[in-house]
Amino acid sequence: MRDFILKRVAALILPFVCVYGFYVIFHGHISPGGSFAGGIIVGLSFIAFSTIYGIEKGRAKLSEDVLTWTESFGTLWYGIMGMVGIFKGVPFLANKLAGIDLGLPGELFSSGLISYIGLGVGIRVASTMITIFFTLMEDEE
Amino acid sequence: MGNGVTKMTEAIKFNLPVFVVIAPLFIAIVLPVFARRIRLAEGMVIFVGVLGLAGALFLAHIVLDRNSGTWIYQMGGWPAPWGIELTVGNLAASFLLVVMGVSLPVSLFAVGNLTHEVGGKQRTARFYTLFLLLVGALAGMALTNDIFNTYVLVEVATLSCCGLVSSRRHPRAAEAAFTYLMLATLGSALVLCGIGFIYTITGHLNMGFASQALNEIWQTKRHVVWMAMSLVFVGFAVKSALFPLHVWLPDAHSSAPSPASAILSGLAIKGYMICLLKFFYSVFGPGLIKEFAMDRLLVLAGMIAIIAGSVMAIPQDDLKRRLAFSTVGQAGYIFLGFGLMNKDGLAGALFYLASHAVIKSTLFLSAGAMISATKKRKISELAGVGRRMPVTMAAFTAASLGLIGIPLFSGFIGKWYLITGSIEAGSFLPTVVIIAGSVLCATYLFPVIRVAWFESAPKEPQKAAAQETGDAAVQRETAEVQEGPVQHGQLKDPGILQKLALVLLTVAIIVLGTVPGPLLELAKRAAAELLVLR
Repeated sequence: MRDFILKRVAALILPFVCVYGFYVIFHGHISPGGSFAGGIIVGLSFIAFSTIYGIEKGRAKLSEDVLTWTESFGTLWYGIMGMVGIFKGVPFLANKLAGIDLGLPGELFSSGLISYIGLGVGIRVASTMITIFFTLMEDEE
Repeated sequence: MGNGVTKMTEAIKFNLPVFVVIAPLFIAIVLPVFARRIRLAEGMVIFVGVLGLAGALFLAHIVLDRNSGTWIYQMGGWPAPWGIELTVGNLAASFLLVVMGVSLPVSLFAVGNLTHEVGGKQRTARFYTLFLLLVGALAGMALTNDIFNTYVLVEVATLSCCGLVSSRRHPRAAEAAFTYLMLATLGSALVLCGIGFIYTITGHLNMGFASQALNEIWQTKRHVVWMAMSLVFVGFAVKSALFPLHVWLPDAHSSAPSPASAILSGLAIKGYMICLLKFFYSVFGPGLIKEFAMDRLLVLAGMIAIIAGSVMAIPQDDLKRRLAFSTVGQAGYIFLGFGLMNKDGLAGALFYLASHAVIKSTLFLSAGAMISATKKRKISELAGVGRRMPVTMAAFTAASLGLIGIPLFSGFIGKWYLITGSIEAGSFLPTVVIIAGSVLCATYLFPVIRVAWFESAPKEPQKAAAQETGDAAVQRETAEVQEGPVQHGQLKDPGILQKLALVLLTVAIIVLGTVPGPLLELAKRAAAELLVLR
């Protein structure tokens, strides 16, 4: 696409879309949305970038290797957070039992491991969305 | 220092139920990163397999030792009605042992042997990812005590099965995978509806609590309970290929790569059977099964499946298709045992499930080895293979004898208990059908053994035989397989790891047939536990 206005507007908006996605991810435990919705928004910002600026530029920003790594380790992060409980001598995925300060309900830094788990899920969802998009685009060519 | 080590062993022991489930799952998702270093990925798969088997053996040891009661593991430390529970009981321990015991030899067989069937390192890594996801999901099915968690694991298993079926680059594999995907999704939807009904009337997702609530209210909500039961039954019957709902199985299991066929036929459908067993006996309870005549339905469906599956297997000339139809027949035995409603019958079904898992994986793996060595899929073209590939064919023969139910092989003990169970249940028709099934099984397996051992190898490939059958898909398959050069001089047993896998499985068949002790004990105790009226 060679539309000048579209490119300028996208350049202005897309960074904010991406940041908003992370906002939704990090506020998953205290507001509507969550890591899945947030991850979709983050993924969408890259998908929109690749659609507007061309698939090659999108690929240059996030190569296949990077996507494989984020996809795998986003999910592994969940497992690592689950292991915290085990290291503290309590069951898998334990949160308060593992002695983590849960903070005050409704505040950003509350609910212990939940928000960290959300980050992993969000990254995983975002990279999966982008991978699916790239795969579909490649099939079309 | 010593204190730290004991603390760590304590922690590992305490968390073992969750480790056996998450270790395969989390290694599975990391594998795509190691796609370029496929040796490392394969090493990780074997490592997880060994760890899983060790964990399963240890859990079985603990369960056998403590003699009564189940070990309940609460995820995140949340108690039952809110949290998800893993229970390590007799049923869970025995099925976990089967899952880990079969998946390790299958992964050994797959190592270094997949690229020609799957193609490319990336695709091989993807295969192992799906394989480990399936193993993890099956381990979870064995352990979980939560009906919605069961559903999630069923979905994970189903989707990874679809991936495994389609992992060969071939139109036929894609077609089979699509059929499987559609029917399996239908099955999942039915199961989900059933779970929805159970949750609506009981308000619980934990099996123990749901069962308690159901026992209190079922008389006022007869139709809902009946609906839920039927939905769960049909849903899992589609997934575990009970006879009239088996249509996806022959294509799916015969067009997958051999290690995938082995694990699909050997373990995947068994996982759904265990889920059905848990839903029927742990959630609804034996009382409700009798009340709604589900036991008679199970026996009837099982009998029809035994006869129909075995009869359909006889005319198949494609070796893997014959084995796939045989799975349909053998699944009937397990369903029949589930419906007998006595200790011997249920223990027999559980033991038969284990024995069939081992036997059918051996059959599929040795068939795969023969097919990839000869480049032929037809039984009539396998003449003289036995002389050239003695280890492979010996494993196939031992497994065939086990499947038929010759004494000293594992199938015999399962069938023996099924027969005593059906006599105890007072109906002689199942007894007759079990014996008839054995005869039919011999009818479709002995020709393979005869052709492979006692017929001399032909001078040239018989292409005329391939064109006689009307099945176009099989012909395409044959044409594809025959592309490679056929060199009879190089026809020999597969590599050392493949041989090791086959030998391990054969030893397992004979050990289960001669010293069935621990597994049979677990099965008997599980049966006694499940049959307790609440």
